[in-house]
Amino acid sequence: MTINDELWDAIVFAERGLVLKIVQAAVDNDEDLVELLNNTMIPALREVGDQFSAGEVFVPEMLASAKAMQAAIDIVGPLLAKTGHKPIAKVCIGSVRGDLHDIGKNLVAIMLRGSGFEVDDLGVNCRVDDFEAAVQRGAEVVCLSALLSTTRDAMRPVADHFRDRDEVKVVVGGAVITQEFADVIGADGFGFDASDAIRAVRECLGLAGTPA
Amino acid sequence: MTPRERVLAAINHEEPDRVPVVIGVSNATGIKMKPYRGIKELIGVKAPDDYIYDWPELGTALIDEDTMRRLHSDVRGVLDLEPETVRQWNKERDPHSDYVDSWGSGQTEIGPDDWYPNVHPLPDATTPADLDAYDDWPDMSDPTRVAHVREAASRLAKENQYAILATPWLLFPFERAHAMQGMDVFLLNMIEHPDFARVLLQRIGDYCKQLMGYFLQELGDNVDIIKIGDDLGTQKSLMISPRMYRNFLKPVHADLIGFIKERTSAKVFFHSDGDVAPLIDDFIEIGVDILNPIQTNAGSMSDLAMLKKRFGNNIAFCGGIDTDRVLPLGSVDDVRQEVKRVMQTLGPGGGYMVGAVHTVMNDVPPENVLAMVDAVEEFGHYPLGS
Repeated sequence: MTINDELWDAIVFAERGLVLKIVQAAVDNDEDLVELLNNTMIPALREVGDQFSAGEVFVPEMLASAKAMQAAIDIVGPLLAKTGHKPIAKVCIGSVRGDLHDIGKNLVAIMLRGSGFEVDDLGVNCRVDDFEAAVQRGAEVVCLSALLSTTRDAMRPVADHFRDRDEVKVVVGGAVITQEFADVIGADGFGFDASDAIRAVRECLGLAGTPA
Repeated sequence: MTPRERVLAAINHEEPDRVPVVIGVSNATGIKMKPYRGIKELIGVKAPDDYIYDWPELGTALIDEDTMRRLHSDVRGVLDLEPETVRQWNKERDPHSDYVDSWGSGQTEIGPDDWYPNVHPLPDATTPADLDAYDDWPDMSDPTRVAHVREAASRLAKENQYAILATPWLLFPFERAHAMQGMDVFLLNMIEHPDFARVLLQRIGDYCKQLMGYFLQELGDNVDIIKIGDDLGTQKSLMISPRMYRNFLKPVHADLIGFIKERTSAKVFFHSDGDVAPLIDDFIEIGVDILNPIQTNAGSMSDLAMLKKRFGNNIAFCGGIDTDRVLPLGSVDDVRQEVKRVMQTLGPGGGYMVGAVHTVMNDVPPENVLAMVDAVEEFGHYPLGS
């Protein structure tokens, strides 16, 4: 397994310009982009997520690394799609009705993309119908985000809506969400933070929590 | 003891007759309109549904005097106002369009009585020149901001019953930077354009000092506590690293607090949500006297015994009654027991005032607000039992 150490560090230390340069060079040199994604980009961003979970880096560093990762995915993603590289699964994500907060939701979306999922980002203030429409477009997992104690209850009608449909999994997360709350509303998964959300999505699809 | 004497004793780390109650003043120690209406109904008070700062979109009620007494509140507020022109503009605008304040930042309507800070005038600024080019920096010298302050404060001082907690709106440099740029944009700029981020915080800090100067001039000696702050914590940690805090923000906070302390002997009350335990020594060093809101469901802030033991001799605490689960979801007895527990942990030796962790939000039953303050009467008289 080849790891591109320079790209790894550029993602971890959020040097967006360098990330773009290395990824573009890899494209120009016709390197194996799947290998670059799986062996370097995804684990590098996971390292940032783990550092965040451990309290070693904070929101600005995490945002900056995610932004660098997103810039790389914008280059690599369309090229991989052209070669027939299939995403692990399609998922949708949105902040629930009444909640316009999107920083955490955006981080999870970038980490999901970086982890090989196709992400249908529904934005903020999303209603049951928005999630249902995304499922109709092929989403297998519905990810719900809420920052506020006053908006978390807007997750209930979405969980209720998909309760009897085994083929649709509901994963919840956000500052005020706990495992206990996820259990009470009958969600299939709960992500404690952005890194943990990837584990939760993988697990409810029957995949190992952390990719090999 | 008068309520004022009670508060002054507590913040001077002495035991008063009972633990003071701080509720109904400013936003962070205030009550939203729905629970306020519920409380008035329960206690049979008829008073208008007015808003603090004359600002309905903020949603925080201006609590009438009868209700303040029933809530056993030991403080009374003196606030500033947006300039008359800004208030008038907002009153005359389409009621569903964005509310815009005197900095050019503002709120978007999400639903009935629900507004979200979503108007950011400087999302693309990355250089000091971009800040120079912005035309809408606030005019802090506008006399209509503070025209009412002298009379309001001197009336309270003459009554000499309640501690005066004075709060100009959001002289919080970090949060103001979020308002100007969008939170994620500013946080990224702290990494990608650190010199610019420092200049923006400094410039905001200068405006904060300007308004604080006019405000303090009107207050004169008629003030006991000045509230400032900045939300720095998240549910489990800090939003930015301690190093970044010390590098970017601490000098701005220290400058503002120094400015206040040169002009008044009032205590400095610093509001900061989330788990800010790793910064409490920094707050003490720069002159914070009272820390609020002690968000007990956030990381190490749940360890009240540790907070009291480690910091309690050097800083007073205000808040601590959970607004995430206990107040909105707990029974009346859950609330009573939690208030008792928090008082018994933070209250010994003074240095603690009961308050909700941030505003009493619309999901809190009014019965629980009364249960919170009544528990102080029931269990909060010194010496505190075990």
